[in-house]
Amino acid sequence: MGLSLVTRPSMSIQPVYVTFHDDAEARAWLGFLQRHGYAELRDLVLERVYWLEGKVRSERLAPLFANPIYQAISEKSALDPSRGPVIEIAYRPAVTDPETPSILAAAHALGEDGLEFARLSRRYQFSGIEASTARKLAERFLFNKVVERIREPGEILVTLRPTGRPDAVESISLAGLDAATLERLSIERSWYAPLSQLKVIQDHEVRLGRPHTDAEIEILAQTWSDHCYHTTWKSLGLLKKLQAATARIAHPLVVSAFKDNAGGLEFYDGWVITIKGETHNFPSSIAPFGGVATKHGGVIRDTLGFGKGAYPIGGTTVMGTMDPAMKEEEVPAGALHPQLILSESIRATSYYVNPMGIPMMHAVYRRHAGYAKCLALGHSLGLIPERYAAKEEPRPGDIALLIGGETGRDGIHGATASSTSMTGETLQKESAAVQIGHPITERRFATAIPALRDAGCIRSITDLGAGGISCAAGEMGAGTGVALDLDTVPLKDKSLTAWEILLSESQERMLIAVPPEKLAEAQTLLDRYEVAHAAIGRFTDSGKLEAVWRDQRVVEIEMDFLWGACPLDPIPAAAPRRQLQPLSIPEPRTAAEWSEAARRILGHYHCADQSAAGSRFDSTVQGRTVIGPYGGKNHCMPSGFYLSAPLYGKPYGVITAVAFNPFYGEIDPAEMARLMVIEAVTRAVAAGADYHDLALCDNFYTPRVRPDVAWDLTRMVEAIAELSVELGIPFISGKDSSSGTFDAGGKSIDVPPTLAVAAFGRVRDVKRIVTKDFKRAGSKLLLIGRVDGDALGGSVYADTLRQHGNALHSFGDARALRALWDALLRLHARGEVLSASAVGEGGVFLRQFEAALGSDLGARVQFEAVAALGERRRVQKSGGRRPPLQEVGAAPDAWRKDGLLFGEFIGSVIVEVGPSFDPAASLADIPYAALGEVLPEPRFELAEGNEIIWQEEMARLTETWRKPFREILE
Amino acid sequence: MSRAAILYAPGTNCHEETVAALDRTGIASELVLLRDLLDGRARLNRFQAAIIPGGFSYGDHLGAGRIFATLLVARLGEQLGEFLAAGRPLLGVCNGFQVLGEAGILPARSLGKRGMALVENQSGRFEDRNVRLLVSRNESPWTRGLEGQILEMPSAHGEGRALFPESRLARVALRYADGFGNPTAHYPENPNGTAGAVAGITDDTGLVLGLMPHPERASLPAHGSQDGLKLFQNLARAL
Repeated sequence: MGLSLVTRPSMSIQPVYVTFHDDAEARAWLGFLQRHGYAELRDLVLERVYWLEGKVRSERLAPLFANPIYQAISEKSALDPSRGPVIEIAYRPAVTDPETPSILAAAHALGEDGLEFARLSRRYQFSGIEASTARKLAERFLFNKVVERIREPGEILVTLRPTGRPDAVESISLAGLDAATLERLSIERSWYAPLSQLKVIQDHEVRLGRPHTDAEIEILAQTWSDHCYHTTWKSLGLLKKLQAATARIAHPLVVSAFKDNAGGLEFYDGWVITIKGETHNFPSSIAPFGGVATKHGGVIRDTLGFGKGAYPIGGTTVMGTMDPAMKEEEVPAGALHPQLILSESIRATSYYVNPMGIPMMHAVYRRHAGYAKCLALGHSLGLIPERYAAKEEPRPGDIALLIGGETGRDGIHGATASSTSMTGETLQKESAAVQIGHPITERRFATAIPALRDAGCIRSITDLGAGGISCAAGEMGAGTGVALDLDTVPLKDKSLTAWEILLSESQERMLIAVPPEKLAEAQTLLDRYEVAHAAIGRFTDSGKLEAVWRDQRVVEIEMDFLWGACPLDPIPAAAPRRQLQPLSIPEPRTAAEWSEAARRILGHYHCADQSAAGSRFDSTVQGRTVIGPYGGKNHCMPSGFYLSAPLYGKPYGVITAVAFNPFYGEIDPAEMARLMVIEAVTRAVAAGADYHDLALCDNFYTPRVRPDVAWDLTRMVEAIAELSVELGIPFISGKDSSSGTFDAGGKSIDVPPTLAVAAFGRVRDVKRIVTKDFKRAGSKLLLIGRVDGDALGGSVYADTLRQHGNALHSFGDARALRALWDALLRLHARGEVLSASAVGEGGVFLRQFEAALGSDLGARVQFEAVAALGERRRVQKSGGRRPPLQEVGAAPDAWRKDGLLFGEFIGSVIVEVGPSFDPAASLADIPYAALGEVLPEPRFELAEGNEIIWQEEMARLTETWRKPFREILE
Repeated sequence: MSRAAILYAPGTNCHEETVAALDRTGIASELVLLRDLLDGRARLNRFQAAIIPGGFSYGDHLGAGRIFATLLVARLGEQLGEFLAAGRPLLGVCNGFQVLGEAGILPARSLGKRGMALVENQSGRFEDRNVRLLVSRNESPWTRGLEGQILEMPSAHGEGRALFPESRLARVALRYADGFGNPTAHYPENPNGTAGAVAGITDDTGLVLGLMPHPERASLPAHGSQDGLKLFQNLARAL
């Protein structure tokens, strides 16, 4: 790689030190570190250093570096070495600081044209700990080794500019190599390609009559990686199943499904709304801050790269980790502590999404012991005029215009490394695969792209993600051909060689096919929006991906070979043998036991107040948010869905809801998959959205493929494909990750079979959408849908007792669901629904708690009513995939009371109606029960007949609910 | 006809909803890129009012609002001086308020000489909250007729704690209020911990207003509150 600081004589470098009079950031770090194993740390002082290169009067720049009201500036460090060790952290020499262009622009505006370059570093002084401890602490918490480093004291800088010399282009002959050698080479070079692919490349070399260049093999390996080519899914024929289901539904609103960077659904007034979900599990597991930041950056670019450029109008963050409260010694060797992944992920989401100016729709944090390799999912919602919703094919002669950030060393081998399973060793070796994100760069082109699009400058556009330039150009030019001149690619790291330029996954870049006659206009517009751009090649009619670099031809691959020759290894499937234990939970008998059980639910990681994370993300930017993540009185009740009014001044809405449950999958993956679809849709329908106007986005995360995994995965996909047809709600976008296995010391840790489903769709009038907070004391509460007092399998309640069980709730069938949804929509249409919510984790109890919290009112739940509903269903025998665990014909009072209160009856809905509402008239064919009533006082009551089994003040319950997540973060 | 300029730079991200809010008042507005002003393609004197919306201009590099402010003062000081001298209203919201403070326009119209700072929230975190604001007695066209009222609107920022070395210069226009309508130091009703519960101030003419919360996010029928629109309606009356 040859990074070196090249000697440049006579250029002066001077540091400027800045401290804050009252440093909130330093204080926050001090508190965080004291709570995370460094109790002896007495003080932490933070000093920012600006390194300035050139002929510059630094005193003239002082106002730029410090506002004297809260900052002090000095030519000497203000840190007194006797007070404790100092650790200085800076970007690596080959990496450009994101602030550099801003500093140069402002300095030049102030008349200091002599400033040639600038860099930043941060000095942390720790009092009360040894130097070696400080160093360890810094490595663990304070910087990212891929792009940053510790600057050793006394280091002499010759220049600040990123310098280095690239490696030469290599020819690599695989001819004649045996299987073992091929496989060894594949790992050494981080291709991680299966033998079958290596053999195809070997044969290709023979046909070609020349060895491949390093760049060519790198391109083939990454294009054919599971991450990019979805080999596991292709081999099992899974995407085809979803596509076929969507085609069969032939939904009139679907504009684009499974073919662009996102899925598109017709909105109103000539607009289209889009959705995409993207996981970034591998990088988030090894470097959570960078991984999660770029997770957001990547999925937002998918929106910008939909059609001819959609505008992002909403986002989510969905994280699955091991238990953040786990003991340090229980963390698998080589994995990061989940508390660190959680807190870093929150910091990263705040760091990236807030500057992007995209409202947070859902922030979801869940845990499971299998997420040693974490789940890091983000969605992006977009808006685009219908006339721009379809890309065109680039035409020969179109310009390949690269916009956004410079290309660097970050993220090389991200595609191949994330396609392999993960060990402590991968964590070390492939740490360079983690990218760093700079939201300001992406924000610049997020503003510019709609302007370019509307000016007719975009024939086609796509984002640069996995595989970098090679993948974006290769995909866009697949039908024509493309010729790239790599010398024109702007670099932030001068030591990059050709293949690295092609594969770098540096963030915040997009590739646009610009009609040649529009190039000048595009460039002028981009200059006005201060977006960097470079014409790096042309689309051709050669049918080839070609690249030259420093007068050498480094790539010449036929598109047919690149996109058509990847061998798919057959994947055997075999039914897994699950070892599931039935639940064994004693039922609460006394008021004290009920109180304790309820508090366990409220304090559970999945149910507790997660606003300590959520309130760090802007939920109202863009002025489109109608119902944000938190609502009700005092804005602290989780809403359960998000509602946007994307067209200013129009009543039209977009509703979104997300379902993700890590506990269900290990019990019954296919049933879990169905339940996720139903939960997501029911959340939206409960609020009043018409399910005919909804579509779905799937994100799968499964262990490295084995016969049993292939079996489960196939059944999960078949289950949701079939269900989507039965419900008439199509999947239009999704993503799969088939590498959820972490190898630690000879033991493999698999993620639970995971599917997150997002439902999204249009709403004619946002004013008709109803939230879950109670509206009036004295209202009736109805529970509508199927209830099963024995189905506590996979529930939060069971998890609070460290059990998961062996069966899930059975929702009945699609016909029953549609009948329920139709009935609900009729109630909504008549304005009968005062509040509503979908039952999920934490059961009926959690929803009633939340509705009370959001209204300062209370709820009484009549136990026998719920029990009667269970009986009624059994008498009617309305559907059901399997018999209930309890013998048919048992008396209603034989239902478990805790099962009725805490059971997760996905597909059931709680509705608040007026006291005079007659359910029998409206819900004749639908199972329902009079659940209870809304109380004027903020109190929760569980009653049976006239007897109150348990009651508790909301204030006490709320305290239990607020604390745990906050404490984990603090 | 009066026109308002909405000035935006790389990283600004609240400009479109600001246009939408002004549309509701009948004020014609125009999005103006700071780059177009710097390169002479646009001039401030075409406009009767100006708004600098929220966001993270230039990535908040070196300090929130500082690069924007530096360019404004060093390159556009003359235009800006003329604009202010002509008695034209100027509003800075969130990052726009940070820009006005870093440029010295607030609290005392002393371009290039800072008299305030907006620093990191007491919590050390970005805070996304709904806030109540008590309108102070302040002879400002922006708040005329609203004195003593409570306005509800979203607030979302990481650096909103206001420091004034010479507090006599700052004329408080809006204060964070608790559920009883009283100014509060209590978190999170006061999301950033500013002393005196200061959420927004004007200069001594009342023409320049800076505030951290977002009136443009409480201006449309779809929003939970439309209290923010009252400030823009006052602008319409003043023009």
